[in-house]
Amino acid sequence: MQLNHAQRELTVKVVYYGPGLSGKTTNLQMIHARTGSEGRGKLLTVETHDDRTLFFDLLPVFFHTKGGYTVKVKLFTVPGQVIHNATRRVVLQNADAVAFIADSRRSAGQENNQYWSNLQDNMRENGLNAAQVPIVIQFNKRDLPDTKTDAELEETRARGKEPVIGAVAIRGEGVLETLFAVLQLAYRKMDEQAGLSRNIGLGEAEFLKLIFARMDTAGTRVAEWLASGGGPR
Amino acid sequence: MSDHLDSGGRELAPETPRLDQRPLSVLERRLTLADMLDVDSFSELVKSFAELYKLGIQVFDEKGNRLAWIKVGNGDFCGYVFSFPEGQRCCTQTVARVKGGPLATTQNARAPQAPPGTKLHGMIAVPCFTGLRYLVLPILWEGDVLGRVVFGPFTPEDLGELPTSLTDLTPGIDLAQAQAYLAKIRRAPESTIIKVLLHFSQLLETLVAAGQKTFLTSQVHIEATLESNRDLEAQNRRLEQMNLQLKDMDRLKSSFLATVSHELRTPLTSIIGYSEMLSEGLVGTLNQEQTEYVRTIMDKGDTLLKLISSILDVTQIEAGKVRLTFEPVSVGDLVSTAVSSVKPQAQKKGLTIDLKVPARAVEVRADREKLRQVMVNLLSNAVKFTPKGGWVQVLVTEVRFQPELDADGWRFVVQDSGVGIPADQLDKIFQSFYQVDNSSTREFGGAGLGLAIVKSYVEGHGGQVRVQSELGQGSRFEVVLPVQPPPPRAVIAPPLSEPAPAPVDRF
Repeated sequence: MQLNHAQRELTVKVVYYGPGLSGKTTNLQMIHARTGSEGRGKLLTVETHDDRTLFFDLLPVFFHTKGGYTVKVKLFTVPGQVIHNATRRVVLQNADAVAFIADSRRSAGQENNQYWSNLQDNMRENGLNAAQVPIVIQFNKRDLPDTKTDAELEETRARGKEPVIGAVAIRGEGVLETLFAVLQLAYRKMDEQAGLSRNIGLGEAEFLKLIFARMDTAGTRVAEWLASGGGPR
Repeated sequence: MSDHLDSGGRELAPETPRLDQRPLSVLERRLTLADMLDVDSFSELVKSFAELYKLGIQVFDEKGNRLAWIKVGNGDFCGYVFSFPEGQRCCTQTVARVKGGPLATTQNARAPQAPPGTKLHGMIAVPCFTGLRYLVLPILWEGDVLGRVVFGPFTPEDLGELPTSLTDLTPGIDLAQAQAYLAKIRRAPESTIIKVLLHFSQLLETLVAAGQKTFLTSQVHIEATLESNRDLEAQNRRLEQMNLQLKDMDRLKSSFLATVSHELRTPLTSIIGYSEMLSEGLVGTLNQEQTEYVRTIMDKGDTLLKLISSILDVTQIEAGKVRLTFEPVSVGDLVSTAVSSVKPQAQKKGLTIDLKVPARAVEVRADREKLRQVMVNLLSNAVKFTPKGGWVQVLVTEVRFQPELDADGWRFVVQDSGVGIPADQLDKIFQSFYQVDNSSTREFGGAGLGLAIVKSYVEGHGGQVRVQSELGQGSRFEVVLPVQPPPPRAVIAPPLSEPAPAPVDRF
């Protein structure tokens, strides 16, 4: 988080982390497609010829608060291939929250674990306290054969404190829900650190509404939340 | 000893510096227009655009630095107006408003006259007191204002006579001349210029997007490379520390061996001494069996003493405590002494020892005692590893030029018909405590120190030792030594764990 009172600007960094081909870039593409061009920048992607992320993807989302602050949420992905660990660490620096995109297939279990532990290592190397950076786990590719059952997802959820969300990112399912969850946790952490509601008059509901009201949330649980007036969820 | 101190009590190199102390990543910095645009080629583009549309164009970053400035047509007119004192003042004011004033319809600016429904992206129109006009458009990027584009001045299509706001301030102005200058400035409806400006801004956005991508990726690439370097450096530091610890342990081992050997030698000398006294009958006559037993005690004691002496030699070499003292040595005499010292064992095994020395005496400078030990060690190995009835040949060459030393020198060769050494072990036999047969049931005794000592001493003389061998056929050890050894180094490096020399800076 970078909070610049002089420029009245808050910058939030969310990093999509996870094994190669788990759908990190797809998540960003879906968010990009569902967000009006007034409220976001261009989606910057640097890919190799075979659609693998080479450095990172970046999607900036921004809005202005009632209190006159500009809030920029920068969504990054890391390259998933093993060899790009140094780039992963650079992109992960100073992340306010992490969305860990896991592949739901049973065969991917080991790789998910490896990247989970790689995430912890890189956080430590970056001087981030893994216990203090909120993480949301997205189990992507729920539509594929060999996918874990809902009961198995429940087991994963029960094993840790991180929220677990099922998704089929390629169809946009679970993408905004994941973003909602990770931004909500990011907000709570930043509020704890910098007193956002007290110091810049930005409450959790306003923060989330200003982001999601500009998005096409139709058919997602975020739409239900917005329709219900944006209360605590 | 603390984990963080080496044997000298010094603090070891600290762990990797904390990575969170590195400078802010480019991903977290606010980028400027200059970061994302290649200013030179951008200027070229603005120039061709300005010439195509016959319009002056200026581009500023958010701090008011000018990135591009192309004047088209207005030079004469503006220069003429500027030559009047009031004209100069008002012109300066207008330019300042356009360049640095608020991007809002305040301070003389108004909304542009665009067809309804046109998305103006924050564009404003700023009229000049001369009747000319500017259009100003903020450069928006990801919610930030990165700068502004200024189009103009242009002549609005509906401008007729020069306005009084100009003529009142410039008494004596030559209206015909002013009109002539004005004709050089592009005359167009404001709506046309708005279209051109919006088109320019689209172009600019594309350039910025491409520039941002290039800039960010190249910077992140550099950061990632630095990051990999940091990893490697950290790994190197860990390895260096481990290396230091290993060296410490090695020193400890040597010092332990030296102490133990010394402590063993003292009582052993007494054992041998008292046995000698017994065998010489100093305390009464012994019967034959008793004498034989006591002599066995003496023999074994001698063997043990030699072993302990070798250990001491090696530990001294490893501790770097050996100094060579060179003096004139007659090689022939030295070889004869060495051969005679192994003769008893050779005779016991029925080996023939053939000694060839040149007719002309070989006189060299060397450390007599160390050189004798080199010869004895090689000879006793030959005798030890050659089965009954075999032969050992000893050869000393004359002094002549030795190419591998690039100096005059001589050779000492010991060849035997013994058991030989497996090819894959040839490079290991000069290591301390190395035994070709390491099993507990091995046939040949010894501590595996003889050759390590040979190598250290030979190299201390500036020479080299080489081995050729064929399993079951025998071995050939060849020592090349200079006639005039180099001035003794303070210490002889141990044969093992010589660190690679540090590269010398070339520039």
